[in-house]
Amino acid sequence: MPGSLSNFKFAGFKALLAAFALLLVFAQPAAAQLSFKPTAEAVQEDKLLNALKEGDKISGRISIPDKNAANLIQPAGRDWRDFHRSKLPWIGGVAILGMVALLALFMMVRGRIRVHKGFSGKTILRFASFERFTHWLTASCFIILALSGLNVSFGRTLILPLFGADAFAAMSAWAKLAHNYLAFPFMLGVAIMFLIWIKDNIPGRLDIEWIKQGGGLFSHGKHVPAKRFNAGQKGIFWIVVIGGALMSVSGWFLLFPYLPGNVTILQFWTVIHAVIAMLFIAAMLAHIYIGSIGMEGAFDAMGTGEVDLNWAKEHHALWVEEQQKKAGAPSDRTPHAVPAE
Amino acid sequence: MKSFVLALAFAILAAVSVAMVLNSYQEASWAAFTTSGARVGDPGNNLTGPT
Amino acid sequence: MARVKFLCDADRCIECNACVTACKNEHEVPWGINRRRVVTINDGKPGERSVSMACMHCTDAPCAAVCPVSCFYTTADGVVLHSKDLCIGCGYCFYACPFGAPQYPKVGNFGSRGKMDKCTYCAGGPEADSTPAEYAKYGANRLAEGKLPICAEMCSTKSLLAGDGAIIAEIYKERVMKRGYGSGMWGWKTAYADSPTG
Repeated sequence: MPGSLSNFKFAGFKALLAAFALLLVFAQPAAAQLSFKPTAEAVQEDKLLNALKEGDKISGRISIPDKNAANLIQPAGRDWRDFHRSKLPWIGGVAILGMVALLALFMMVRGRIRVHKGFSGKTILRFASFERFTHWLTASCFIILALSGLNVSFGRTLILPLFGADAFAAMSAWAKLAHNYLAFPFMLGVAIMFLIWIKDNIPGRLDIEWIKQGGGLFSHGKHVPAKRFNAGQKGIFWIVVIGGALMSVSGWFLLFPYLPGNVTILQFWTVIHAVIAMLFIAAMLAHIYIGSIGMEGAFDAMGTGEVDLNWAKEHHALWVEEQQKKAGAPSDRTPHAVPAE
Repeated sequence: MKSFVLALAFAILAAVSVAMVLNSYQEASWAAFTTSGARVGDPGNNLTGPT
Repeated sequence: MARVKFLCDADRCIECNACVTACKNEHEVPWGINRRRVVTINDGKPGERSVSMACMHCTDAPCAAVCPVSCFYTTADGVVLHSKDLCIGCGYCFYACPFGAPQYPKVGNFGSRGKMDKCTYCAGGPEADSTPAEYAKYGANRLAEGKLPICAEMCSTKSLLAGDGAIIAEIYKERVMKRGYGSGMWGWKTAYADSPTG
């Protein structure tokens, strides 16, 4: 059929015409390109970085289940690095070495605080065995926690050069494990301490007097009255409880990083953990000093639990009176104080 | 002295127990990040070392 | 000596994840460890851009600075690598890294997260080059064979560039000139503060 061939040819011509028309349609935007800029709203890294506030991150959408991957750039990491490598060593150095220097100076100037009347030979029970157990539980954990923590901050500078990378890394790996796992008995110890000793550590008017007289630290022979715990000891108690709580909370988040979930929040908690640690260690150095070599007769309190009566009368006169009244015994017999269990 | 030794023993015991408990909750990232869209069997331990 | 860098041209990236797949395949990276990932900014909105991000191998790397056991080192080419034998898995590098490069094999408590893993620029690690021991710990070592990282090699649009920093910066600048726009050299100011424009 002759018509069908020409129909086919015309169909082909129609297709060609349509294609050509389409070309013209697509050619239009080329002219319009000057007024419409498709990349005008494109995100610019510079603009995003400048718009970031302190601690903010540039983040977007990802196709991986790990939410942390959505953060593209977190410039706060730079500040965190500066803090941990420049500022923190200063804070730690000043606090800890400063405290050591202060204690050395005190030792030189004041010397060891003696029992003025000498040891009587009679004793009075100061801390029951459970109290001593709790103290040593917390204290021994604290020593390992402090040393392993200091290793993280200073080990690379002070210890690595002495032992070489492999030995130091092996030691640090164990130190980190010890730090993470001994934290739990430490937290338990602090909690128990809080419960058993809070009632004797409430600040009172007597403490203001004690502080005004400098705790009798520099007045030979003159002893300031105090109850079971003097203001200095109450200070240590609250430093341990509050410092311990802060260390526990910050440490908890560091141990379980999926809880805060966010690298920025984690950075904040590491800063708290590090700064409080340095101050805590400095304070405990003072406590350890006075409880060991700084004052004769003091260690017995935690060592055997029984302290010399003269020592007790000089440093905790009102407490001795309370205890003797409780026992109902005259002061020249060794009273059996009721243990605070 | 006794309370000190007991305290040390208790601390070590507590630390070991905590270690065992926490490690039982430990998960390999391939197990933790399995989703309904991506169910993953053990992908081997290249780069991560033996578990 | 060339100082190698990564550059992701976000205006070319189509979020195909070929770079991610190539990396995963080349190094047998287990699920859950994301050496390289593609992040899409302003997804669904006009001007959305996708960026392929892995370790940027920074000059003055913050991860190296904060590591408590000093397990990082920078090669002569500028590649930042680390030793998994020394790594104690403390996580400090993750806090410091602006790009979230460090990855950990376990997710429970940080105490036993395992050794950190990250993009190695396909340059392996401290073990002997191209040995099975190196492969098991750090993945393939393409640089030792004179090849560039596989992610950039496999990029379908040539948006992810890897190689000498000066050369890829030049390539990118040419592109920006020719087409008239560019969303920036993502991460360069943060990673290469000494040479942020190549």
